[in-house]
This record gives sequence, structure tokens and C-alpha cells, in this order.
Amino acid sequence: MKLLDGPSRAKRGKKTLPTSHGLCGNIKGRVLDWFLRRDRDDDLQEEIRSHLSMAAHDRVADGEDPQTARLAALKEFGNVTLTREATRLSWGGVWRSRVADITQDFRYAIRTLRRSPSYSFVVIAVLALGIGANIAVFSLFNALALKPIPHVDGSASLGVLVARTDSGRILPLSYPDFRDLRDQGHAFSGLAGTSMDAYSLGLGTRGERVFGEMVTGNYFSVLGVGASLGRTIQPTDDVSPGKHAVVVISDGLWKRSFASDPAIVGKTIQVNAYPFTIVGVTEPGFQGSIVSLKMDLFLPVMMQAQLRGFDLLGVRESPMLWGLGRLKPDSSIAAAAAEADLLSVQLDARQPARRVSQRATVIPMWQSPYGAQTYMLPAIMLLSVMGALLLLIVCANVSNLVLVREFSRRGEIAARVALGASRSRILRWLFVENLVLALPGAALGMLASQGIDLLLEPTSLASLAPVPVGLNVSLDWTAVVFALVLSCASSLAFGFIPALRSSRVDLAGIMKDDLSPRGGSRGRLRNMLVVSQVAVSLLLLVGAALVIRSLESARTADAGFDPRNVGSVSLDLKPSGYDAIRGRSFYQTLLDTVRAQSWVESAALTAILPLTLVDSNSVDAVIEGHNPRPGEDMRMLINTVSPEYFATLRIGLVAGRDFARTDASDALSVAIVNETMARQFWGTPDGALGKRMRLGGGDWRTVIGVARDIKYARVTEDPRPHVYRPLEQNYLPAMTLHVRSRDPEAVLLARLRSTVQALDPNLPILTARMLTEQTRVALSVFSMAAGVLMVFGVIAMILTALGTYGLVSYAAKQSTHEIGIRIAIGASRAELLRRFLGRGLRLGVVGAICGLVGSVAITRLLTGLLYGVSPTDATSFAGAATMVLTTVLVASLIPAWRASRTDPIAALRHR
Amino acid sequence: MEQNTRPPRLELLQGTLDMLILQTLQWGPQHGYAISQTIRAHSSEALQVETGSLYPALHRLQKQKWVKASWGLTETNQRAKFYTLTPAGKKQLLRERDRWEQLIAAIGGVLNPNPAKG
Repeated sequence: MKLLDGPSRAKRGKKTLPTSHGLCGNIKGRVLDWFLRRDRDDDLQEEIRSHLSMAAHDRVADGEDPQTARLAALKEFGNVTLTREATRLSWGGVWRSRVADITQDFRYAIRTLRRSPSYSFVVIAVLALGIGANIAVFSLFNALALKPIPHVDGSASLGVLVARTDSGRILPLSYPDFRDLRDQGHAFSGLAGTSMDAYSLGLGTRGERVFGEMVTGNYFSVLGVGASLGRTIQPTDDVSPGKHAVVVISDGLWKRSFASDPAIVGKTIQVNAYPFTIVGVTEPGFQGSIVSLKMDLFLPVMMQAQLRGFDLLGVRESPMLWGLGRLKPDSSIAAAAAEADLLSVQLDARQPARRVSQRATVIPMWQSPYGAQTYMLPAIMLLSVMGALLLLIVCANVSNLVLVREFSRRGEIAARVALGASRSRILRWLFVENLVLALPGAALGMLASQGIDLLLEPTSLASLAPVPVGLNVSLDWTAVVFALVLSCASSLAFGFIPALRSSRVDLAGIMKDDLSPRGGSRGRLRNMLVVSQVAVSLLLLVGAALVIRSLESARTADAGFDPRNVGSVSLDLKPSGYDAIRGRSFYQTLLDTVRAQSWVESAALTAILPLTLVDSNSVDAVIEGHNPRPGEDMRMLINTVSPEYFATLRIGLVAGRDFARTDASDALSVAIVNETMARQFWGTPDGALGKRMRLGGGDWRTVIGVARDIKYARVTEDPRPHVYRPLEQNYLPAMTLHVRSRDPEAVLLARLRSTVQALDPNLPILTARMLTEQTRVALSVFSMAAGVLMVFGVIAMILTALGTYGLVSYAAKQSTHEIGIRIAIGASRAELLRRFLGRGLRLGVVGAICGLVGSVAITRLLTGLLYGVSPTDATSFAGAATMVLTTVLVASLIPAWRASRTDPIAALRHR
Repeated sequence: MEQNTRPPRLELLQGTLDMLILQTLQWGPQHGYAISQTIRAHSSEALQVETGSLYPALHRLQKQKWVKASWGLTETNQRAKFYTLTPAGKKQLLRERDRWEQLIAAIGGVLNPNPAKG
């Protein structure tokens, strides 16, 4: 006789209890496990039924009636659910039930958030903004400081071996010095040498200008980079000068210029008009060791004389390359630097003739001047700080939203507590809910960061100099981990305080439907959040304002020359087979032809363009009658120009005259110096005229003119001594033609191209663009920082407006009843408006004061990025404060006005 | 009425339930209900095994591979899950008995010190 439901019936049809032991698993094993568990659950249920059935059966056999027997058996058995739960626990480890709990929390959170989509949307969007901005900045930082050289493992920890002059300037080493330091040092496990140069690739009009590195034989093995085709430069290519005419090309060049020719290895190309055999193509992704610049050729340093036209391999005085090395595990940058210093003292001791003005040292990659890092990092650091501040506001804002929401959910939480949920469980639940909001925020943020990076690139780096630029800004694991950590941290930050409060619910209060804020503490927290938002967004705006004003003053700054209406065409005669005599005559003809055109105001040739961001060539100078103090920096920036250069760029001459055609190679050697140099060595510009100097060991040159200073490399640079040599007396094959003309840009450049081609149809035009483009590049760091800061500032303002609006409208809603009473007993609407407006404004003013104080403290860190603006610039401060306060005013006005419109009858009837 | 005539129930010592189950299964495969009845009968009703402990214990033993479980029919023709002692379970039983004897001896030694020995 069956007293209970048979196990057969109990089995399949009924759904198991909603225990949710599943993982949201896509992993097959886990899903299987989940099903097995469900089976086991059924099995256990059946086992218990069978137990009960047998117990009842026994009792019936003893003579009890079936109904009583069944009840007695159940009673004897005890709590069925408890037994089942206890048994279930014995199946799996603790972690399993915990995972199950957390999975349940996640599911529950998602379900809850789906029920309030607008709240979820706002929070996710706000978090995406904050997290995205930070990831974008981080990926820039990652690219510059953590992974400076793409495709090279551990590139951030490479040491850079260079010379440092006593005045702190970093210079390359001469080849003999490099060799001695490499052979005698012990700090590096491998030390390669490299130097960057522009090369002419190919001949005639098919020629192009590419950038490349001249490297030692161990360069590729030290960096750990291989060849995807053929081989890399090997130590066997580093034996005898002039005997290793081999070249490794980049993957990019191979694809771009050689159409991915699979049979490229073994072919011959002309580099600087010298035949080189291609022996290999580098692995894709590798772009050389110059941070952010793409190198296309890798040539053995032994071919230096063939590439440059003069042999420097044996010259101890000529800076030529720098070392790039991996430190031994037991060494450090500091130890390597100390060793290099010691070794260079020994080298000097053995070479008494040498001037002691520099020592060898080792600097970390991020301080190396060979690449974008030193130029970009200050801006990136600033952006990081600003990004962190932005995230702070984001968290404050979301905290605020969470607080409001939590208030409306007090009933739910109270019910959970009443049902026995522990406080830690409630905390975890709320934390998981925040995490569910933060993770999509992080994902969106990652997408957004790509957008921001795209925004950054064209404004700054892509247009930098003539060198192709590639920054390693791709998303990688570091960035993803960063994003995850950031989102967890922010969800903790924005959720924790409200969660702590929620978990400490006052059951009795909620039962009594007490909706009024309990005490002042809740209000104080919300006030604090608004104050901090106002303060931080003021800070961000002050930063943005300062950088924008810097950009403005840098843009309008007197660079000392007038780049407007000047076209620039770069040429290199050497690959086309010109020798010095033909070259000189070509350049003379070119100038004569161009100057004869009706549309040309003036024209000149120069070896170096202004504002290239990197210091151009410099030479050791000896000034007649000047005894350098020990350690005095006598390296001078130098340029080679034709007559009319100063007129074409509108650089004023302070004294003396311009170069003239009569300053020919057989005439008196002459030079023009800048005003700073004249004042430094001869007191006055006029005093410099007729004085003599030697440049780089050459003849005595007589100063015939003094030109005004210009900004040579960067807009922000300090005045520096500078020397000009006439082209006639110092022929260089690679020159840039500057032409001043009233023609529109496109017309001018086209006319210049055709003029050059008419003279020599086979001569490649390396670049042709307006000089203003150059100056724009020089401002790129400002425009980038200004752009990002502006975006940050605007986001911050929007968030502050949201926060203030939320606070005031919440306060108004809380006091609906009170407003009703006030109106009923005769308060005027203006009075009410003032009351709520005052609340928002008070917080705004307190926040603004905090923000101003913080700004004064923090903007001093900006000094490196500011130009022509004091870090405590009153205009910026006042402007930012006005903007923030206006925002607060508007944001409080709307809810305040709405509160003042409250219908007293409705308000009083409300409860 | 009947309840009063039973001897007072004893609390099972921590960890002894596993041993009692294994011991019960020594005489052949049994289902959970029978195991609890057997323990109760053999202890003259003094030991009452709570189902809330029995089933977790059985499943734990199964996980340790000391017992095996399979569904079968009882002599009254009801489906029930039968537990069988495995060879590993037998060894475990011996180990636990051994430990139990030692414990009893040790406690006994403390409770009834034998001066003759000392």
C-alpha cells in the first residue's frame, strides 16, 4: 500500500527547488556539473521519500492507521529541507556554494537593474565616461612609459648609455667611446649601439626619404627581435668599416614600397646613393627603438662613412650613437650609470688632450631624449592626475545616485534583513550590484578610450615632423587589467558608503513608514559629495583654462620669424649623383630661377627647419679670446643657410649684414650669430662684428652679422646661442627651399614643384608643405593637453550640474510636506525659491573655495606645460570659478523653481 | 507512554557517526532508514541518529569512496537506496575502531587509575 507519493511520480515532472547552483558558465564541464547536481538533488529527494515511506510502512505494520503513521514518520524524520540542505553541503566544497551565492547575487542584481533602466543607463554612462577617460590616458602612458618600444619585451627597463655634458645636456657618444664603454663595462648583459637618421632611399624621382637606424651587430639580439624574411643585422656585419653593405628593412617599408615582394632578400637598393643588399625584413610590429617614431631601415654602423660621406668611426670627438642595453639582473640603472661615469674618467685620463666637458651615463628609457617620451610624459602625467580627479567626481556622482536609490529601496533591504540576511550578505549584494554597473562602464570606457586616442593622434603625433609616427596605443592586457581594477575600485568607492548605510537599516523606522531623513548625517554626506564635485571640477577647469591660455600665448608668441606665406620644399641632391661642385651650382641656379619669378617675394635655402621639436646639429665652438671655464658648455646650435634667409623668414638683423653671394668658398670665412650668443661672448651685438671663432675644428670664421633670436626647436625653449654658416662655404647636399609668396598655399606648392622639376626632372621632392604646418606641430603638445583637459573639464561640469540638480531636487522632494505647510501659512514663492536656491549655492560656494585652494596648490605642478601664463593666473581662476558657480546656479534653479510651484493642497494630501 | 520507558537518549560523540555507519554496513548493504533503525536497536534505543546528520554523513562517506550507493528493492518491495561498504571503507572502519579503542582505553585510564600498574 502506497502511503506517500511514489518516487516515480515525484521525480521528473516537478521542478527542483530554485537553488541556483549554476555558474553562468559557458564552460562545458560546469554546465554538466550543474545538471549532475540537479540529478543528485532529485536523487536525494527520492531517497528521503523512500525513507519516509519505509518508516510509515513499519508503523502501519505495528498497527497504526496510515494517516497517523505518515505524520509520525514525518515528525520523526525532522526538518526535510534542513536535512537536504545539510546533505547538499556535503557534496561540494565551500567555494562552490559561495560561487553559487555570488552568481545568484549577480543574477539578482541584473534583474533588479533591468527594472530601473534609466537609473542603470545614467550610472553606466557616467562610469563609462570616467573609466574611459582614464583608460585613454593610461593607454598613452602605457605606450610611452611601460611599453615604449613596440614588439620588444621589457623595453621599459632598457638602459640608455649616453654622454651628459656638465651643463646637463644629453648627447650621443662617439663610436670609440661607445666601444670602450661597451667592452669595459659589466653592468649590461647586452649593449647595442644605434643612431637615427633620415636616408634617401632609391634614386631619381623614385627616391623617397625614410628614417632609419644605424646599428651595431648585436642590436637585434639585444632587443630580441627577429626577421620575418631573411635575417637581421648580425655581429658578422660589424667587423670591418665599409665592407658590410647590407640592410634590413622594416615590415612596413616592405609592404609599402616593395609590395610585400616575397623574393626581396638579395635585392639591391640605393641608400644615400650607395648600393646595399637587402638581407632581411623585420618582424611585423617592430618599428625601431625610437619611441613613437617609425624606422624603416636598419644599417650596420660599419657603413657610416658610405652613408654619411665622412668617417667618424675613429673620431673620439664626434658624437655619433647611443647605447641601448639590457641590464644584468643584479645591476640597476644607478649602478650602470656609476660604472659608466667611472669608466669615462678612466678614458679621459688615458686621453689627456680631450676636453673634460662630458661624462658617460646611463639613463632609463623614459628619460631618453631619443623618442617622444620626454616630450610627452609631462603632459601624460598631468592628464593622469586630471583623469583620476575626474574619476573621483564620477564616483561622487554615482554615490549620490546610489544614495537616492537606496533610500527608495529601504523597504526591500529591511525585508531582507528581517528575513535573516546577514549584514555582510547585504553588503555583498549591493557591491555586486555596483559591479554590474561598473563592468559595462569599463567595457564602454575601453571603446571610448579608442575614440579618444583617435582624437588625439591627428592633432599631435601624426603630424609630428616628417617622420612617420606610430605610438603603441593599442589596447592590451595591461590596459584591460587596469580597466578591471579601476571599475572594481570605483564600484567599491561609489557603492561602499551608501551600502554601509543601507545595511544598517532601522527596521522600526521603516515599518513606521518614516520617510524623513534620519538626522543630519545623511544630508551631510550628500552635501559633501556635491561640495567635492564642485571643487574637483573647478580644479579641472582651472587646469584646462591654464593650458588653453598657454596654447593661446604659444600660438601668438613671437617665435622670432614669420612662418606665414612661406612654402618649404626639401631636396637631397646626393642620391641623384650630384657632387659638391654640381650641387653648389644647382642650388645657385634654383635660387636664381625662383627669385626671378613674379610671384616670389624672396627665397632662400636652409639646412634645418625651425621648430622641429628636436635639437638640430650642434658643434663645439672655440671663441677667439674666450677661455672657457672648466665645464662650460661650448656646443652651439648651428645651421647652414643661403643669402636672403633672414629676409625670407623675416628674422631681423640687429647688427652687421646678411650673407651675400660674395661670401664664396674662396672668400673670407664668415658667420652670423644670434643676439644671445653675441651678448654672451662679446657683450653687445655690435661688439660681436669682426670677432672670430672656430666651429667644429674648422677655419677661423669672422662674425659679419647678428640676427635676432628665434625659437629654434620648441616654442617654450629658453634663448640659446646659435650660429649660421653660409651655404657657399659649407656645402650640404640636403637643403630645404623656403619661398615667401602671396600665392595661395596649393598654387605656391605646385609652382615650386614644377620649378624644381623643370631644373632636374629626375630629382625627387622629399617634402613640399607650408612652414605654418611646422609651427602647428610645435604646438601639438599644448593642443593635445588643452583638448583633453577641455573634454575632462566639460564632463566634470556636466557631472557637477547633475549632482547639484539631484541634491536640490531630492531635498525639495523630501520637504514636499513642509513646503505645503509653509505655503499654507503664507510663505511666498520667492521665499521658497530663495530657500532652495540658497541650499545649492551655499554648497557651490563652499566647493568653489575648496577648489580654488586646491588649484593653487596643484597648478604649480603644471609649470612645465605652461607657457606665458602664471600657474596662479587670475583670469583662468576667475573664469573657472564663474563657470562652475553658474552651473551650480542653473542646476539648483530648476528644482528650486519647481519646488516653489508646489501645490500646497496636493503636498499636504500627499500622506 | 512508551516514550518514557525508553532509556535516556545519548548525544553522539563528534565523529563517531561515520564509524557507526561503517560498522552497520559491515553486515551487508543497507538503506538509510535501516541504518538508523539498526543503530537505534543495537544501542538499545540509546542512540538516536538524526536524519539531518545521517544523510550528510552517508553522502560524505560516499564522496570519500568508503561506501557505494545503488538503488534496489527492499524485502517489502520498496525502492530504496542501498549503501555498500567498499574495501577502502573496511580499512577506514578498522582504523576508526582502533582509534576508538585507544580513546576508550585512554579515557578509562584517566577515570579509573590503576595503582597496581604505577
